[in-house]
This record gives sequence, C-alpha cells and structure tokens, in this order.
Amino acid sequence: MKQEPASQEQIDLLQGTLDLLVLRTLLLGPTHGHSIAHLIQQSSGDVLRIDHGSLYPALQRLERRGWIAAKWGTSENNRRAKYYRLTAAGRKQLVAETTKWERLATAIGRVLRPVPEEG
Amino acid sequence: MGWWHELRYVARRLDRRRAGEELEEEIRTHLELEAELNLEAGMSAEEARRAALRAFGNVSLSKEDSRTVWGFRSMEMLWQDLRYGLRMLAKNPGFTAVAVIALALGIGANSAIFSVVNTVLFRPLPYKDPERLVMVWEEGTLEGFPINSASAANYLDWRDQNQVFAGMAVIGRASFNLTGVGEPERIDGRRVSASLFPLLGTEPQLGRAFTAEEDSSGAGRVVVLSHGLWLRRFGARPDIIGRPLTLNGEAHEVVGVMPPHFQFPSRDDQLWVPIAFTPQQAANRGNNSFEVIARLKPGVTRDQAESEMDAIAARLRRQHPGVVKSDGSVIIPLHEQLVGDIKPALLVLLGAVGFVLLIACANVANLLLARAAVRQKEIAVRLALGAGRRRLVRQFLTESVLLSVIGGAVGLLLALWGVNLLKAFIPKNVSQVAAVAVDANVLTFTLAVSLLTGLIFGLAPALQASRFNLNETLKEGGRDSAAGRRGNRLRSLLVIAEVAISLVLLIGAGLLVNSFLRLRNVDPGFRADNLLTMRIALPAVKYPDQPRRAAFYNELLGRVAALPGVRSAAVTNWIPLTLQGDTFGISVEGRPDPGPQERPDIVTRVVSPGYFGTMGIELSRGRPFDERQDRADSAPVAIISETMARRLWPGEDPLGKRLRPGGPDSVAAWITVVGVAEDVRQFELTAAPRLQMYLPHVQATFFVPSHLVVSTQVEPLGLAAAVREAVWGIDKDQPVSDVRTMEEILSESIARQRFSMLLLGIFAGVAMLLGAVGIYGVVSYSVTQRAHEIGVRMALGARRGSVLRLIIGQGLKLVLIGVAVGIAAAFVLTRLMESLLFGVSATDPATFAAIPLVLVAAATLASYIPARRATKIDPIVALRYE
Repeated sequence: MKQEPASQEQIDLLQGTLDLLVLRTLLLGPTHGHSIAHLIQQSSGDVLRIDHGSLYPALQRLERRGWIAAKWGTSENNRRAKYYRLTAAGRKQLVAETTKWERLATAIGRVLRPVPEEG
Repeated sequence: MGWWHELRYVARRLDRRRAGEELEEEIRTHLELEAELNLEAGMSAEEARRAALRAFGNVSLSKEDSRTVWGFRSMEMLWQDLRYGLRMLAKNPGFTAVAVIALALGIGANSAIFSVVNTVLFRPLPYKDPERLVMVWEEGTLEGFPINSASAANYLDWRDQNQVFAGMAVIGRASFNLTGVGEPERIDGRRVSASLFPLLGTEPQLGRAFTAEEDSSGAGRVVVLSHGLWLRRFGARPDIIGRPLTLNGEAHEVVGVMPPHFQFPSRDDQLWVPIAFTPQQAANRGNNSFEVIARLKPGVTRDQAESEMDAIAARLRRQHPGVVKSDGSVIIPLHEQLVGDIKPALLVLLGAVGFVLLIACANVANLLLARAAVRQKEIAVRLALGAGRRRLVRQFLTESVLLSVIGGAVGLLLALWGVNLLKAFIPKNVSQVAAVAVDANVLTFTLAVSLLTGLIFGLAPALQASRFNLNETLKEGGRDSAAGRRGNRLRSLLVIAEVAISLVLLIGAGLLVNSFLRLRNVDPGFRADNLLTMRIALPAVKYPDQPRRAAFYNELLGRVAALPGVRSAAVTNWIPLTLQGDTFGISVEGRPDPGPQERPDIVTRVVSPGYFGTMGIELSRGRPFDERQDRADSAPVAIISETMARRLWPGEDPLGKRLRPGGPDSVAAWITVVGVAEDVRQFELTAAPRLQMYLPHVQATFFVPSHLVVSTQVEPLGLAAAVREAVWGIDKDQPVSDVRTMEEILSESIARQRFSMLLLGIFAGVAMLLGAVGIYGVVSYSVTQRAHEIGVRMALGARRGSVLRLIIGQGLKLVLIGVAVGIAAAFVLTRLMESLLFGVSATDPATFAAIPLVLVAAATLASYIPARRATKIDPIVALRYE
C-alpha cells in the first residue's frame, strides 16, 4: 500500500537533475514512463517524489537530444505503452553527468563538513 | 551526430495532430496504470483515479511542456492564438464590426494623408541631385514683397560673377499660338537659357536640348517639346525632330522631345524655346520677370551662397548707382519653392489624423476592456489550468494586433478611395500631385501603423485582464468586483482622453470653417457671378501694332455684345485673382522723386471702356472711360483705385492730378486721373488690395489686352461656344484658351483654404463620432454593471427622471472633464495653425465657446440612449438576477 509517510520530504528537483535520474533509471533496461516514475521513487528510498507529470517533458527533452530512443510496445497488462531505451550517446552522457554530480556533491560536502567536536 | 537525431525528432512531430494523439495516449496509459496500482492497494475506483491524478500533477501543464520540446513553439502558439483570435472575433460580430470600423477610419485616414505627404513633401524632385537646386530671387526691389523675379542684366551679372554656383539658368514665361496643325491651340511654355536642361540633368528622350548658339538673339528658332505635347498633338511620330512648327506665326524647328513625366517648372508648360535675350533686354535692369534657377557647387551651403550674392549686389549697386536697387538675393531650395505653400496645411492635417487614430485606439481599447470584463471567467479558468500570465498577455495582444491588421486592411481600401478624392482637392500648383498614390511606402506605413496601433490599444486591456485576483473573481461571479471597478477607472480615463482630443480637433476645424467663411465673404471689388472669361492673345506677327489690335477688339466686342444672353463685354490684360499682372513705378506730378526704390509700384490694367460695367466695379468719383473721349490720339487718362487715391493724394481730390510711369527722366506722357474706382483684389483675397490703376488700352500701348470678359444673363459657360465662334468669325486661326467663369477662378483662388477646412472638418467629425460612441459604450456598460443597483433604486420608488439624471450625470461628468482638458490643450495647440487662419485669431472666443457646447450636446445624446434603457429595467428581474 502506498502511503505518504509523514517523515518523508518532497524535494523539488531541477530539470537537469531529473534528466539525469531518468537516464540512470534506463540503464537498467528499457521501460515506459509510469515505470520510470516508480523506479526513481523506489531507488531513492521514497525520498524523491516527483510529480509524474514532469516526467513527460523530461522524456521529450532527452529523446530530442538523442540520449534516449522511443518505441511503442505492449506493457505487462497488454496495454500499448511507449518504451524508452538508453542510446550509446545517452550512456556517455550519463557517465559524464554522474561524474560531474559526484564532484559537485563532494565539494559541497566538504564545505558543509561538520565542525570537529571538542574533546 | 546529434543534429541528425534532432532533425528526425522534429520532423517526426511535424504532424501535430498525430503527435498530440500519441502524447494523449501515453499519458492516459500512465494514469490508468497508476489507477490500477491504487485499486490493487485497496482504494475505490473513484479514489484510485483521483489519487492517480494527484500524483501526476497538472496534466495540461505536462502536455504543454512536452509540446514545447517539439519545437517551433512560438510559431505554433502564434498560429494557435491567431486562430483563437479569429474565432473570438467571429463570435462577437457586433463588437468586431464596431472596432474594425473605428480602426479602419483611423488607419485609413492616416494612410491617405501619408500618401500625399509622402509624395508632396518627401519625394525628391525628378532631376539630378535635386537637393542642390535652388531658385534665386532679387531682394527688396518690389514694394510690399520681400522677393522679386530677377531682371535680365542682374541675372547675367550674377551668372558671370558668382563663385558658388555650378551653373545658373534663367526662365521666362511664354505663351504660344500653335497653328498649322489642325485646330489652333494656345500652349503655355517657357523661354529658357540653354543652360537649363544640363543644369537639371535630364536628357531629352529624342533629339537634344539647345546649344549656346541657339540661345542668342537672331539665331534660328528652335523648340523642345514635352512628351505629353508630342503624344497629344503629333501622335508620338518618330520623325518629329527637324520638323518645323508654327508658333506665334513664326517657324520653329523641333530639336528635342523630353521624356515622359518630365515637367519644368509646372505641369502646364509644354514646350521650351531659347530665351535669347536681345542686347536691349540683356542690358535692362528693370525687366523683373525672369526666374532664376541655380545649382549649388558641392559643399556650398545656402547661407554661403546668399552672402556671396549679397556681396555681388553691393558691388553692382556701386557700379550702377541708382539703377541697381537690389539689397541682395534670397535663395530658396527648389523643393521648398514648389511645396512651401501647402506644407503647413499638410503638417497640421498629419497631426490631426494622428489624433483621430489615437481616439480610435482609445475606443477600441475601451471595447476590449469591456470584453475582458466579460471574459473574466474564461481567463480565470485558464490561469487556474496553469497558463502563464505572459502567455495570456501574448494571446490578448495577438487578438488586438489581429483586429488592428484587419482594420488596417479595410482602412487601406478606404485610403485608396480617399486618395483619389484628395487629389481632386489639392490646389493645382502643388508639385508632383499626379504622382500621389498608394505605393510601397504607404503600404509599409499602413502595416507599421496597424501593428503599432494593435499593440497600443491592446496592451492596457491585456495587462489589465491577466492581472487580477483569481479567488475574488471566481467567488463573486465576475460582476462588480474590485477588478471590474479598476477597469472602469481606466475606461473612464480613456473616454476623457477621447473627448479632449475630439474637442481639440473640433475647435481646429471650427477655426478653419470660420476662417474660410470670412475669406469667402471678402468683397473682391467686382461682381463675380455670371462672368465668362477667356484668353485671346493676339500674336505680334499678325497684329504688330495698336491700331490693328484695336480693330480686332472693337470688332470682337461688337459681335459678342450682340449675342443673345450677353449683357456686356470688355477686354483687359489680366484677370483678377489669377496671380498674374504687371506693375511699374510711377512719378506723381509736383512731387519730388523718391528714388527708384521708393517710387510707388502700381498694378496696372489696360481695359476697354466697358470693363467697369462688365465687371461690376463701382466708380466712386469721376467718370469711366469713354470710347469717343479717350482715343489713341487724345489726352492720356487713368482711373485709379481708392487706396491709391488715399495713399498718393490724402485729403485731396485726385481728379485732375497727373502721374506718369518711370522716374524724373521718363519720356512718357503725363496721365490725368479722371476717375476713382473701388479697390479690387487683383492678386489674393487674403492680401490687402494693392495700389492699382486702369488705362484705356488704346492709349497704353506698352501693355496688351489678352483676356475677354463677358457679363451674361444666363449660365456663362453656355455662351462659350458662341463667343468662340465670334472670334473665329473674325480670324479663324486665333486660338481661344482658358475658358473659365469668374466663379471658378474665385473658387480656385481659395482652393488651399478650402482643402484644409474640408479635411480637418471631416476628421473632426469622425473624431466626434468616435468620441460619442466611446461615451455610449462606457455609459452603456455601466448600466449593465449597475442593473442590480438600479433595480433596487426603482423598487424603492425612484422615478424615471432621477434614474435618467443619475446615468446621464455619470456620462456628463466624464465629458465635462474631457472638455476642460480639451479646451486647455486647444488653447496651446491652435497656435500651431495660425498660418492657416484668416481674420480669426487662434484663440477666437466664439469658436472656443460654441464648439464645446456642440460636443456636450452630442455627448448628452450618447448618454441618453443607454440611460433610457436603464429606466426600462424591470426591478424584479434585476433583483432576481445575481
């Protein structure tokens, strides 16, 4: 059952970051939009809750840049759904962006390093 | 290659409908999948769906943003907005019609006036480097006029001594009788120096211009034809060069034909002959009838040229004391010369028509604001659905610009028609009128004005509409909200502005009408109705001396007077109000000569004895000319004007006094004054009458009568054929030209004033109409808004009268404020049109008092109609309708 745990926070994601998450998610294999939404949520341990609607513009952006490719297919329950897969260029982009992100996170972390305790 | 993918991506989505359907399906699938999950988790069907939507977020926003990625979004949105705008306009035909009409009037009027201004004021003259061409005038040699035409000797000295001009040419008037090719015809032309055509820089289309040898006295006679003449009289025959023509009885060889559309200096001049000064002419410093045109050397300014010419004049005065009178020269750029007259009127009209457009904008803005108030719900919903404010503003602006472009297109049609109308009214002497047309420049102007107009009147409503409190509007049902009230203030301001601007235009028009009526009422000094005039210039070759001329005229007058329907007839050299005439200085017997500069300059007319009776000019003293008393061999007599009598012999009886042309060494005989006639406006109705005198044509042989005037009992033009026949009965080769009634001449002389008055009047009328419509709109809308309140009042017992007063009072309040602002503005602005007024000051109290009354009356009427509607409101219906 999906609930909204009171202790969770909804974090506003920037566009670029969302793109990155989508690419990463597709690394696991091609899938459709609904599943991407849930995968992101699950992998983040339910911390990242995005409006599902914001995915679709992101998917269009990525498709336009050639990092993902789309194809209509059939879903688990025999519904027609649009499946996205990571392209070679997308893979390269993912690596590059991930590296940048980690570097950024490390740098910020360094700045925010807690003051060593006395004693 | 990234771009390859991008191209394919964009291309695949060019079919928007299919792409949209796919996106729909994708999102629908998503929502269904989510709902299924929720169902499995135990929610009801309804809850599951709603939870899915909540988790999704703003569906339309998502679709919008996705579509944005497809590309060409701005264009797509523009296209969408256009289609939406068109639909909106079609759904409200009443509103659209009113708005389009208002805009068409405003933009069309602007385009029409701009067409005229564009050609008359801005189009360069069709000569080489026309901005370097100037006319050179003598300064100070004609009493009462700042400038004068040049004399031959002065011109020649100017030409030889100056350093500032690359070339100079001189022009003299000439009229020619063309005979020997079918019907004899009188043709206007010019005598020009050989330097003229090279100076202008226009090559003849056929043949050549004159050589210097041909421009000397005694050389063989040659002529250059205009294209129009060549076409009209000679069928554009290619062998025209070398052919002889008979002009004024003398053979002239055609040496050239000018290209089509070439005109110099006016449209009426159809041929050019060499001016060929005789030695006497060349030495004459008093024959001031020549116009001089010159080309400034590169880098020389007008001021430099004037200084140089002033220096030359000083030198000449030293060399020829007492003979050379000029103070120097006035140099006027050719273009200014040709349009200077009409420029102030055109500029005033341009300003006026700009005002009309502003009023139209205010009106349409008001209409849009009213519409926006009605569309609040629609706007609220769209904002709630996630439309950005910028998007809404952009859409409203698109609607406005669409409206104004449609209005502009209709306006352009109006302008096409209007320009033709205008051309008929523009005074004849303005240059390049024939070229006035709706051309590419005008089209560009119209488009630019349309777009700008749409932005101007659309901006305020667009901003107004998209900025408001969502909550408030949805709750209160959209009527009488704070937003509505704010809109009202803006609309009231617009109406006040409209009223003020209309008032300014109306006052301006009122001043011009006043002016024109006074002008029309100026007594010209003669009786203008039922008077036929025509030109019968006897060629010197056939009628070389006075007796032969007199014989012709006597015979002619006898025959014409005998025609049925003719009261009397006479001949004269020039007709009043045709801006043509000769003057010369005179000496008064018994008075010391004041010197050539100060001698009185008298406008001189030579006439037959019947002239005064025919023209209805009254004599206040003395006697008219008499055939038997005043003969060629009897004592020379003159009839002078009242002003001349008062000026030269103040307090004395002028009868019996003597005068003669020229100075103390003049050899002319003394002339005795035998009568005093009322003043006649010889040149312009607007100017004070000049000193003038009449001489019997048999005595004053140095002037030649060339015009016939006939006083008729019936419609003058009806007799024209009979009079022509009478002329040809005497001499079958004598051309008769310029057949006009005096009424026509009179009317043409005030053509410029009539033109300004009519146009400004039309604009002011349109402005007032638009203003009244604006007031009607605002009051009408307020009645709708306050229907509830009015219903309450009436239910509580308010009577019709008080409701009427309430509503009309509201309209009048706006109008009165507008009138106050308008009067203040008019006070300042009408000074700009002072040069167009005659006999009326720019702050004429009568006009300033009367016009606002007219406007207030119109406004009251405009408020009355919706006010009446207010009294018909059924209180019960009004109270019930929330």
